[in-house]
Amino acid sequence: MNNEAKLTKYVKAAGCAAKLGPGDLTEAIGGLSCTHENVLVGMDTSDDASVYYLDEERALVQTVDIITPVVDDPYVYGQIAAANSLSDVFSMGGEVATAMNIVGFDGCHHPRSVLKEILAGGQSKVAECGGIIIGGHTIEAPEMTYGMSVTGFVHPQKIYRNNTPRIGDVLILTKPLGMGILTTAIKADMLEEKVVEKVASILSTLNHKASQIMRKYDVSACTDVTGFGLFGHASEMSFNRVTIAFEMHNIPILEEARALADMGIIPAGAYNNKSYLSSKVEVKIAHKDEIILYDAQTSGGLLIAVSQDDALKLLQHLKDEGLTYSAIIAEILPLGEKPLLYR
Amino acid sequence: MKLDCSGLACPEPVLQTKKALEALPNDSVLEVVVSSIASKENVLRFAQNGGFDARAEDVAEGKSLITIVKGFACNVVENSDNEKFLDKTLFLKSDKVGEGELGAKLIVGFLKSTLELPKLPKRIICVNQAVLLTTAEESAPITEVLKALEAKGVEIYSCGVCLEFFGVTDKLKVGKIGNAFGTIEMLFGGEGTISL
Repeated sequence: MNNEAKLTKYVKAAGCAAKLGPGDLTEAIGGLSCTHENVLVGMDTSDDASVYYLDEERALVQTVDIITPVVDDPYVYGQIAAANSLSDVFSMGGEVATAMNIVGFDGCHHPRSVLKEILAGGQSKVAECGGIIIGGHTIEAPEMTYGMSVTGFVHPQKIYRNNTPRIGDVLILTKPLGMGILTTAIKADMLEEKVVEKVASILSTLNHKASQIMRKYDVSACTDVTGFGLFGHASEMSFNRVTIAFEMHNIPILEEARALADMGIIPAGAYNNKSYLSSKVEVKIAHKDEIILYDAQTSGGLLIAVSQDDALKLLQHLKDEGLTYSAIIAEILPLGEKPLLYR
Repeated sequence: MKLDCSGLACPEPVLQTKKALEALPNDSVLEVVVSSIASKENVLRFAQNGGFDARAEDVAEGKSLITIVKGFACNVVENSDNEKFLDKTLFLKSDKVGEGELGAKLIVGFLKSTLELPKLPKRIICVNQAVLLTTAEESAPITEVLKALEAKGVEIYSCGVCLEFFGVTDKLKVGKIGNAFGTIEMLFGGEGTISL
């Protein structure tokens, strides 16, 4: 990787670890209203993207996301930021049509050639899923940010919402956890190059394939795991209507992230998520890696609620297509004491 | 030695603490001041997992003072799962070992002796008639033994379908109800499975 530009060294926090906490966000947007007959999915359910009805065959899926650098290589950062922005369309079960770049460029620390590489990286990922970049906007900024506003389409009868899991379903997660911790370590130059490459390849993997595969099975709900961590997004999925029971030893976590967590290399975002969510979580058997369940993920995997009958088939299909970290991690139970539990 | 890490974001406080601890001679005390919960938790985590004796106290203006002892403090190493448990699963298919009255006595005896082992099996999975063990009367000897195993951290699962089949789901006294995925994962995921 080309780490010369040292992108991560000029920002305060890496990637989604820089996201505003869920409590702060709920308070800020709570007063906004978006009720309209054509809005199929709006802000009220904290879903991944908005969905707007066009006609019987099509609904518009729209989402926007920007992140600070998580790796030092500009091209790879562009790829990861794009994968992160595009993901919300895939988690709704949609296909990407167009995207527009949104850039805050730190021209004090980086030459223009860096910007060119970032955009090329982003373009490569949009092209990979069959979309096109049709414009964008760039401003000078004290800290580098990049992402996209993405527009896609979904069939209005085939929208995958985040809060509609059925009791008895199980949850599949398609990427390992620990990315907030690992990107914090990358920023501090604590990781070997080959680990950085492994992390970068996970982060830049599109959720496109996972989305296309899941649509072939009996799936009741889907979201992607990003800034609020596994438990934050699972809490939105529960919607206080069911209890999601996680099996700690089944949850895919990169070994390197466990070791770093033991060392105390945990971004503040994870603690913010935990303090916001811990009242919703019942701990059956405490585990030393608990904090990783709250770790903010950049470009995390899909979290898919699927019927038990289809779960093993879907899991195998995901693995056959190269999504080898995929695992069955939880079961949907009738609402118990708390909406989330782990054991 | 005192280290002021207030206002610094992760991972800076941990890295500075690490550097300072490495430079300090044995039998010395390092005091670290931090100004966020994340930094407090992280520095504590780093020190404790590194085998140092460390404690934190909240001081003025949202700051915390973490005191880390290098050297003489006795290291209380927490038993990790690996040290307390064998990576083995006990897979029970019947409420007896072998046939008849003797069989019923043997299973209680076997599990009771297991209790005395320095390292316990990580989990017990009960399927078919074995779910009658986890649903026995409160006063039955087997219930006491299983509860003691659970209290020591052994995970006990009873097959949900089997509980329903025998109509005893509401009589479960100990452990949790397991599902097929969990069971299969535990059987294949662990190092070894023992069946009686």
